[in-house]
Amino acid sequence: MLTAMASALADVEWEACVLEPRRDRELEAFVRSRFGAVPSAVPYFTRVPWVVRSMPVLGPDAPLLTLDSLLPDLIGLVVSQDNSCRYCFGVQRMLLRVHGLPDSRIRKLEQGFIDAEIEPRFRAALDFARRLSRASPLSAASDLTPLRDAGWSPPEIRELAYATAFNVYMNRMMTTVAIPYAPVESLADSWLIRVMTPLLRYLNVRRARKAQALASARPTEPARGPWAYLLDALSGAPASHALRETLDAALESSVLSRRAKGLVFAVVARGLEAPHAAAAASALLGECGLAPEVLESALTHLGSSELNGVENALLSFARGTIRGRPMQLQQRARALLDRLSPEQLIEAVGVAALANLVTRLDVVVPGR
Amino acid sequence: MTGALAVTLASTALAAAATFAWLRARRANARTRGRLAAASEELERLEQAFARFAPMELVERVIARGIATSGERKEVTVLFADLVGFTPLSESVDPATLVRILNGYFERMSRAITAHQGHISTLIGDGILALFGALEANPWQTNDAARAALAMRGELAAYNAELAQEGLPKLALGIGLHRGSGIAGLVGSPELMQFTVVGTVVSVAARVQGLTRAHGVDVLLTSAVHAALDPRFVLRALPPAALKGISEPVSTFALLSE
Repeated sequence: MLTAMASALADVEWEACVLEPRRDRELEAFVRSRFGAVPSAVPYFTRVPWVVRSMPVLGPDAPLLTLDSLLPDLIGLVVSQDNSCRYCFGVQRMLLRVHGLPDSRIRKLEQGFIDAEIEPRFRAALDFARRLSRASPLSAASDLTPLRDAGWSPPEIRELAYATAFNVYMNRMMTTVAIPYAPVESLADSWLIRVMTPLLRYLNVRRARKAQALASARPTEPARGPWAYLLDALSGAPASHALRETLDAALESSVLSRRAKGLVFAVVARGLEAPHAAAAASALLGECGLAPEVLESALTHLGSSELNGVENALLSFARGTIRGRPMQLQQRARALLDRLSPEQLIEAVGVAALANLVTRLDVVVPGR
Repeated sequence: MTGALAVTLASTALAAAATFAWLRARRANARTRGRLAAASEELERLEQAFARFAPMELVERVIARGIATSGERKEVTVLFADLVGFTPLSESVDPATLVRILNGYFERMSRAITAHQGHISTLIGDGILALFGALEANPWQTNDAARAALAMRGELAAYNAELAQEGLPKLALGIGLHRGSGIAGLVGSPELMQFTVVGTVVSVAARVQGLTRAHGVDVLLTSAVHAALDPRFVLRALPPAALKGISEPVSTFALLSE
């Protein structure tokens, strides 16, 4: 049974990691203070600190206030499986075990939750998560109707969307650079995790309560910047603050130019036909001095003689992150190393993942 | 005394029979659970496999509710490819060699098409109908289709070099590209269904492919494709030609390179 459980994504091809790990004790201490441990993926991203910080900032530092604590991890499992992210899938299986779910139930969830003793309300939420993550067909406001019919309130729907988009973010980060999955794939079945489950559950609950208290005490800040529409839509949820912090950090980083990052956001918004995200990216690129007609041409054909080599390479790369399968993503990332330094690649991966997160949240912005 | 012994023996026998029945039921339940788990895994694998031929959403709908006839109008780019001079070739090599040549050809063409976000809808003899933008929304579908056509040209050149080494005849290819609106959906009989696009957009692509011989080029595209294509592609305009079923002569362009 244990072998069968570990095999749900066993057929997914996975390249050797594109990056070399590098330890950074300060960043590791920061991550440990939030997660309680340092995930094995962290050393691969330490060359660009904001990327490492984003994981706890967008995750445990942005606790979901309206949802049952099990649901975000259920969403994590189905989204990671849908995106074939072997690394995140292993992590999510472990988290579900910490929640106390038996093997049989986790297995049923992997099999498409057809008979997974999931109540209709949760099932509607998981269906929504798969649809939003997959973006095929593209998300539309009508996707929210089954959620409302199942009794989800608007603040709950916003947090469901955020939980899904956050998992898409993590999936893209881990998959694109082919983070080795071996350390986490069998973690859920290890005797150590089984023995420590009650303690881990207790620590998780304590950490979540602390994060919720911190988030609730944080004063609401006025939304600003290109993504103010989204921060406003999420206003009141800790996700709003987390997104603002991460977006600011991503734009302030000088590893890639602001214009290159804006182009990545614009491509993902074009591919997902997300009007709010597209307008935000256009505004950002306008601030960078990119003429609208150059942007339009670059987005229509994923290339322009007005852009430099790195920017042109990033356009195609960003497009591949919208729905790409692991092998394709990983081969593109490796090919990008011919043009980009490892630091630039990490930032490109982080920005593309962030663009996928932000753009998928267009569905909860009023007026969509 | 004898009566009490008989009662004890009978009770023991009953208890043994009940335990045996319970154990048998438990074994049967375990077997059923195992079979269900295996069937479920198989279903998941099939679902993933079918997703390469039809949108995942559609695959899930078919699994949940059975096949229903429904279609959706979509803007797609159609690539129609055919081997030129295949009939004489089929008469000059033995059947086993012919099938091997064809399979090698299809494998390489499939690789070129899927690497550029296209999907093969149908193989018609030695012909290929490939669609771009039908499985999922793709604002870059036309450039993808043109790049796929160039990749097919490159793959065929490499394959011809391999065939020449074996002393086998070379293959020649004609590709037609057209963009337009069509109805996408599951089409066929309950025994044989396929996800495809129907409409004029497909027949125009097929007929434009037929024009490649007349113009002496390998890749031809219509003005609808030209209008959506990245201007960095190198094209050569060709004189308008009449196409069966189309009232006005159709302008086409030879795709030279990118």
